[in-house]
Amino acid sequence: MRAFGDNRRRSKAMLELRHLTKRYGAIEALHDLSFTVQPGEIFGFVGANGAGKTTTMRVVLGVLEADSGNVIWDGAPITFAARRRIGYIPEDRGLYPKMAVLAQLEYFGRLHGLKRNAAREASTALLERLGLADRAKSQLQSLSHGNQQRVQLAAALVFSPELLVLDEPFAGLDPVAVDSMTEVLRSEADAGKPVVLSSHQLDIVERVCDRVGIINHGQMVALGTVDELTDRGPSRFWVDAPRAAAGWYDSLAGTTLVEQDGSRWLIQVGEGAGDQAVLRAALATGPVHEFRRDRPALTQLFRDVMSGKAIDE
Amino acid sequence: MNSQALIRVIATREFLARIRTRLFAITTVLTVVGIGAYILLQAYVLNKSATSLDVGFVGTAQSISAPVRAEAAALGETITVQPYASLAAGTADLQSGTIDALVSGSGPSTTLTTQSSVDPTLETALNDQARQQVLTEYLTQHGLSPSDALGQLNFSVGVNELSPVNAARVEQIVIGLLVAGILYVTMVIYGQLVAAGVIEEKSNRIVEILLATVRPWQLMLGKIAGIGLVALIQVVLVAGVALVLASVTKLVSIPTLSVDVVVSGIVWFVLGYLMYALLFAAAGSMVSRQEDVSSVALPVIMVLVAGWILALTVAAPDPGSPGTTVLSFIPLFSPVIMPVRIAAGVAPFWQVAISVVVVIATIFVFAAIAGRIYRNSVLRVGGRVKFSDALGLTPSGEKLT
Repeated sequence: MRAFGDNRRRSKAMLELRHLTKRYGAIEALHDLSFTVQPGEIFGFVGANGAGKTTTMRVVLGVLEADSGNVIWDGAPITFAARRRIGYIPEDRGLYPKMAVLAQLEYFGRLHGLKRNAAREASTALLERLGLADRAKSQLQSLSHGNQQRVQLAAALVFSPELLVLDEPFAGLDPVAVDSMTEVLRSEADAGKPVVLSSHQLDIVERVCDRVGIINHGQMVALGTVDELTDRGPSRFWVDAPRAAAGWYDSLAGTTLVEQDGSRWLIQVGEGAGDQAVLRAALATGPVHEFRRDRPALTQLFRDVMSGKAIDE
Repeated sequence: MNSQALIRVIATREFLARIRTRLFAITTVLTVVGIGAYILLQAYVLNKSATSLDVGFVGTAQSISAPVRAEAAALGETITVQPYASLAAGTADLQSGTIDALVSGSGPSTTLTTQSSVDPTLETALNDQARQQVLTEYLTQHGLSPSDALGQLNFSVGVNELSPVNAARVEQIVIGLLVAGILYVTMVIYGQLVAAGVIEEKSNRIVEILLATVRPWQLMLGKIAGIGLVALIQVVLVAGVALVLASVTKLVSIPTLSVDVVVSGIVWFVLGYLMYALLFAAAGSMVSRQEDVSSVALPVIMVLVAGWILALTVAAPDPGSPGTTVLSFIPLFSPVIMPVRIAAGVAPFWQVAISVVVVIATIFVFAAIAGRIYRNSVLRVGGRVKFSDALGLTPSGEKLT
């Protein structure tokens, strides 16, 4: 699947946020927030409501000004001209309800500097690609929520942006729509663009994003690839050992029981206890039907972070 | 992409989005029909008063019919004399509407009968001629020559009008008020459209995407320009229809409709619209919901209404008065007062030039203030933005030091 538009201008620039701080009166919305998004990388930004995701995105877009810190694009502080090359989906969707879909896309294309014909061509191609060609003349408000969302994405892509910033792009989409949007985002990233998105749907983030940042009260509390994040923390194993008696794991130093479900045990092992040691201890009790490492889902990790449990950086 | 090109793209969208609406079609048709009806009514009323009267003269009354007709003619009214032999025949024709008035009797017993109202010119002429008839008889009885005596009366009181009101003057004021009225109505309608358009973008949150691409002032100016162009087309259309109708019905003569009245009307519309549209845009940016448009637009509309009332009550009755002159220099009132003075021919060129410069300066000041309010308010959703916040005086109290 090829990316849209003019990929000859494919940039390999990196987005860096350095020590952003933003206050709204007494509330500190961002506190020394830093992260980078590499070319071709989809960066997932997760956090509770009010954590500072939208504020961060608005600062990147220049709609909001940070009190201190810098947004660096391609090695230099971002300029208004560079910001005009960002494809943006804001948290609250924004398009003209009574304007025809095609005219709307053309308008955004032209605002970003496309000539009339180029805007028309790019818009038509995008609608084709997103399966909305037959709705080109329809008023936006007559489209379903999912299709409106696609138009919103098209509006962010119509001028072949060099960077995508998407606030909650999956909100309210059904699984099929999520897949098609994911596909588009992946192809944009494959064209070398950094993609930043925020989402509450952690399962999607886990599946789609190359790297994830968890933000809480304006601070980055966890940052890394999904694997890096889920590998952190204590090692846990699921063991299905029907003949095991309570305390069978006591020989493993520092090991505790997390959960027991019939013959299935979830144990958390202490420092230094390898998986083979755990397996040997389990086999010593009799037959073992299941033995697997328990990786916390991003959801679990997120809950741990939000509830203040320490995460080893 | 330079600012001009961006503003043009924005203005084009605004223009197309509004010129295709039913609102534009309906308001254009209604205004054209309204103004057309007004002009036709005026023409009808004016023509009727100028229509010649058919007056019946019964028996002896016929002796004064010729001098009455002559005097009425001198006063600008045409009288057609219908002689009747009997009062009954004359009354019957009066009741059937064949004649407008019936004169009977002679001397002191001369009687004027009409259907409803008495035409004052006819009454005056009749009084004069009946009295003269009585006086002539009296003088003859006393052996004096009526022609000598009446010759003594052959004079008129000298009249000096310090500021004469003539028919042409009334025509000019009608034209001036028409121009001012069209400007006033259009500024109210399209000013509110600007406010509503700003709120639309704010409530739909489109403004956030737009402001990631264009500067707030570019967005504001593009909107004002696009909507203004629609308004200008409507004004020219309506004014054109009004002028054509007015000249066809001879309500106003073409010289009164001089080119400078029309051109200055358009100039004043552009200036007035720009000045008020900036205020409407700033007001609109301070609220987030379409329902609030009237509450924020109200103060601006009140100023416009005040200007229009002053145009009707102060400027129209006396366009040359010092009060009108002073009002025409107050920038917020100039667009509705100055056209009245210009049409009445009492605005010297230098005064018009000064007030145009003052209004243009005001537009620049308003643009700076409105731009600031717009920039500070348009991304703030929720309640109404406070004035101090909108002006950026105390943004979250952090810049107080």
